Amino acid sequence: MRKRGLAYWFLLALTLLVSAFLIVPVGMSILAGLTVNYFIGVESGLTLQWLAQVWSDHRHTVFLSLKIALACLFCTLLIGVPTAYVLARRQNAFTRALEELLVMPVAIPGLATALALIVMYGGMGDFRRSWSFILVGHVLFTLPFMVRSVLAVLSSIDLKTFEEGARSLGASFTQRFFGIVLPNCRSGILAGSLMVVTLSLGEFNMTLLLHTPLTPTLPVGLADAYASLRMEVGSAYTLVFFIIIIPLLVVMQWAAAPARIGTGQSR
Amino acid sequence: MDRRELLAVLGATAALSLPGLAQAQTARAICYNCPPEWADWGGMLRLIGQRLNISVPPDNKNSGQALAALIAERANPVADIAYFGGQFGPKARAAGVLTPYRPVRFNDIPSGMRDPDGYWFTIHYGTLGLFVNTAALRGRPVPQSWRDLLNPVYRGMIGYLNPASAAVGQLGVIAVNLALGGTFENLDPGINFFRQLRANQPIVPIQTAYARVLSGEIPILLDFDFNAYRARFRDNAPAAFVIPSEGTQQLPYIMGLVARGPNPDQGRRILDFVLSDEGQRHWGNAFMRPVFAAALTAEMRARFLPEAEYARARPVDVFRLAAASAAIAERYRREVV
Amino acid sequence: MFNTLLRDDRLWLVALLAPVAIFFIAFFLLPLGRLFLIGGSGELGWGAYVAAFTDPYYIRSLVATLMLSVSVTVVTLVISGFVGVFLQRNQFSGRALLTAMLTLPLAFPGVVVGFMVIMLAGRQGLIPDVTEALTGERLVFAYSMAGLFMGYVYFSIPRTILTVMAAAEKLDPRVEEAARSLGAGQWRVVRDVLVPGLKPALLSAGAICFATAMGAFGTAFTLATRINVLPMVIYTEFTLQANIAMAAALSFVLGAITWVALLLARTSAGRTVAAAG
Repeated sequence: MRKRGLAYWFLLALTLLVSAFLIVPVGMSILAGLTVNYFIGVESGLTLQWLAQVWSDHRHTVFLSLKIALACLFCTLLIGVPTAYVLARRQNAFTRALEELLVMPVAIPGLATALALIVMYGGMGDFRRSWSFILVGHVLFTLPFMVRSVLAVLSSIDLKTFEEGARSLGASFTQRFFGIVLPNCRSGILAGSLMVVTLSLGEFNMTLLLHTPLTPTLPVGLADAYASLRMEVGSAYTLVFFIIIIPLLVVMQWAAAPARIGTGQSR
Repeated sequence: MDRRELLAVLGATAALSLPGLAQAQTARAICYNCPPEWADWGGMLRLIGQRLNISVPPDNKNSGQALAALIAERANPVADIAYFGGQFGPKARAAGVLTPYRPVRFNDIPSGMRDPDGYWFTIHYGTLGLFVNTAALRGRPVPQSWRDLLNPVYRGMIGYLNPASAAVGQLGVIAVNLALGGTFENLDPGINFFRQLRANQPIVPIQTAYARVLSGEIPILLDFDFNAYRARFRDNAPAAFVIPSEGTQQLPYIMGLVARGPNPDQGRRILDFVLSDEGQRHWGNAFMRPVFAAALTAEMRARFLPEAEYARARPVDVFRLAAASAAIAERYRREVV
Repeated sequence: MFNTLLRDDRLWLVALLAPVAIFFIAFFLLPLGRLFLIGGSGELGWGAYVAAFTDPYYIRSLVATLMLSVSVTVVTLVISGFVGVFLQRNQFSGRALLTAMLTLPLAFPGVVVGFMVIMLAGRQGLIPDVTEALTGERLVFAYSMAGLFMGYVYFSIPRTILTVMAAAEKLDPRVEEAARSLGAGQWRVVRDVLVPGLKPALLSAGAICFATAMGAFGTAFTLATRINVLPMVIYTEFTLQANIAMAAALSFVLGAITWVALLLARTSAGRTVAAAG
């Protein structure tokens, strides 16, 4: 039972200040997207025209980003969950090296990864021009997050005992994998999935180089809008982005919370 | 979660992500550096869609980015046509990314504004000057000359595009240089000017900054007359265009056919169209100076500044500018940044 | 023998690694190898890699990027440390909302963050409005190093705060109580009990923060400052007459430095860093 001393109020003030720092510009941006004239300000009136303009001119970027994010999720699930399982089962020099390798696309600047893909596969016209070129970059970048999330959960339960027990009762590998391993890392898969989708929707560094005029994603379209269109349009475009991403982030928060209590493992 | 549930989830995500694989087969072409808000390319692309039935998505690269992309994709090009600031014409030809094509009226273009062997040609040109948001100046006088920009009263209010990758950025350096007594070989006056300008904390964007002038972030931008006129007449912003008293340059903007592009026939038809009467009139309406001056009606002419002002503007020699552009970028990088 | 392999699942484990192996070799290792070779194939040859360390322009950029990333990491860890522990330890109404607000910018691309900085500190920004009201002078710093710094802190705080909160939850409050009952003041408790307890999480979060800051591009691209952080230099090298060789060489240098930093953080914090994320 600690008394609410000076430290408490100071820290509360700090927390509120930091929250304001992060949120106030978001609010300003949302308002800018709904204002008739940004330079004049709110006095010029509120309108939905900018949102309408963004939707009619740029909605293809929204759909493409969503498509890539879902495809990215599919790929990271397929590739990442088995990898996390192997990493949880075995800890030796090889698996440690593998973990380091997985993290590399996060460490190396996105520009470099994109450049590498272009110099290697830029000659394959159809691949280069399709959205799967962008997908490859996104999977490289988001895979370690899925792996880490699932691995964290698997490491915190006594996997070996469960599996030995099931094996001694005659369960085959596939029965064990689908019947024991997967159900137990559900929270890790969920947290990882939300992370992957969120990161893919917001990815810009790699996508800037990997996209073509036929495959613009939302962040790329957004950057173009800020450069060449009115501030109000850029803000409205950002508002569309917020509308998509904020529910995802809220669900991510809510889904991670129960996992924290009890098992004590982090997100 | 049992096996069936897992398969259902995987199946659902796969199904949701597959639809885009089948793409509609319409006639299309890719243009590098056709930003919808620059020179009203948005309107031109729509016109191309209506008249020629070719669908061309807009592209927001600048000249430098477009050339870099073409070079990187040389083995298997993505683009069919490209649009550049004039000085990039010789560079693009030297890099081997263009292939010759002479549209119908090619020979009517003044010889300084086209490649002698047909690799590129001018479609329109604009004049560099000061694009000013007079309301954002908050009472300060509108600058009238290059030297005015060095006045501390404009601190934080000036912007110019990066000379390292935007055509208009390089033009700015050479325009100031020539206006202050330099030559294409002697870049000292221009480089010194930009070094002195640092004291006024300029903003140096990489891509077009039209939006920022309108929003008041950059009240004074070294930019083209057509952007200022568009702000004033299309977007009803308090914009003014100033041709500096020491003089300035005019830059032709060029187009060329990309070598081994995926849709060369469509590319050629588009290049024909941008030089046609209708195409040229469109540029005039977008406040550009069409390369065929006859397309400019009196009504369009009325929206420009008086001809007397334009007497201070000279067309830039793109071949000499191309030769000097490496030096400009290098010196800017070393001495100004 | 086959039965043995089946019995301890070795065959299965190898098979399960096939997807990631194929994917990484095809789309990461081989392309990077090719990029490395291209880095040495330009005008300067392998000298490009040397030039990355000796040319004053690149050195200035590298040092600026390093200093920016380190300072951002330190400031972010301090802020996240205090705020994260505070939020974890104190129940009050609205706590969940605050936490959600603090993690919101997690998904923002650098472009949006740059725009947030302009909203706060640009010519028409909130802070200049405040300073104009207070002092008559508009303090516009969006386009300077300070603005870039603020932008980087903006996207770094959400990334670190959740890790800190998770680690704070695992701390045993009884150790602090014991320290306090032995007479230690508030600051000593923080320094000698709290910080060591949070160290693995702080190192792990700090490493990710550092890596993200080193490679961040979108924010600098939007703010278009004259300051050249290395990712911007790489980008302009690529678009400056398509100097792919130099861009490649610089990318490797940047990647190598970042990766070494991450490696140091992982080894000094021990194995738990991997699982703690």
